[in-house]
Amino acid sequence: MNSLEVFTVEKMTENDHSSVDDQVLVKAAQQGDMAAFEELVARHRDKIYARAYSMMRNEEEAIDLSQEAWVKGWQRLAQFQGESSFGTWMTRIVINLCLDQLRKHKRQRTESIEEISDESGGVERQMPIITVNPTAGLERGELRQRIDRALNQLSYEHRTVLVLHEFEELEYKEIAKVMGCSIGTVMSRLFYARRKLAALLADLKKEK
Amino acid sequence: MMDYQNQLKLQAYLDGELPEGEAREVADWLARDRDAAALLAELRQTQEALTGFEADIKLPETREFFWSKIEREIQFQDRPVRKPDSILTRLARVRRFLVPTVGLAVVLIAGLLTTWRSHDSIETSLEDSGAFTYHDYAAGTTLVWLSYPANSEVADEDDFGTLE
Repeated sequence: MNSLEVFTVEKMTENDHSSVDDQVLVKAAQQGDMAAFEELVARHRDKIYARAYSMMRNEEEAIDLSQEAWVKGWQRLAQFQGESSFGTWMTRIVINLCLDQLRKHKRQRTESIEEISDESGGVERQMPIITVNPTAGLERGELRQRIDRALNQLSYEHRTVLVLHEFEELEYKEIAKVMGCSIGTVMSRLFYARRKLAALLADLKKEK
Repeated sequence: MMDYQNQLKLQAYLDGELPEGEAREVADWLARDRDAAALLAELRQTQEALTGFEADIKLPETREFFWSKIEREIQFQDRPVRKPDSILTRLARVRRFLVPTVGLAVVLIAGLLTTWRSHDSIETSLEDSGAFTYHDYAAGTTLVWLSYPANSEVADEDDFGTLE
């Protein structure tokens, strides 16, 4: 740490926290400044919660897991070297917690129909192509509701691959590593998830 | 019907996961094949529909309440945890008190003995080995036991009655 940074951290009062960038707050938090960490939580809490919610599809679990992620974040703060942004680092923590939780869920329940069909050859290959955009002209709120409902109908493996690719913007090989499967499986699951989502959105449009 | 491997290749093309040469081949194929172009369009629509989806999701708790739970948990987990003592630790702790305790015990015993000796005593009379005297100076009492007939006399009697 250079002398300028030391000065910034030492002189920072509670009112200053909202006006400094993440990097300075992280350094202050690494020195035990809880108020700086609280500011970081306030800045990134929605994003961390949103990622947990996308994966878990359950408000209560998403709140608990995002809270757990923040506690872990505080405890591991010394390990954060700044290779990625603080937000990305925190997102990885919550993703890992969600994956652990989903694996626990999986062990407790039988396989879903989607998983069976996926394993047995893949119905996505025979799905008709959706030529009319099912989300065209929808208001943002309604689009969100429809996607919400469609995501709920995907199995956790398909949804997780979709979330990691579309929201976390991970490459196939990174997803394979995180989920402990082959790149081929990632491609297959992502393809199924997208095609199923398109079909579900088209059905919702018809219902409307 | 499009081959499954080609469908996946199309998706990889959309995701920018194909090497440059293969990506060019797919681009040529898309220009010729309407089904392939339609599938690519569907995949792209789904991708676009998901854009910005998470931005609308907000934590349904106030900043203060959410932070208070995190802060409480951090403080709970940071508290010093007392581990159960090992045998060695316990021995070390006992040893610390052992020397002063033993020293104190020795002093006490010595003190008691001195006090007892100064107040009470049993004396054997030299003149008469069959008599014992007990003095309690505190109570101002003297007790004398006389073991008669004297051992010497009994011995004499025994000798006397022995037939050879």
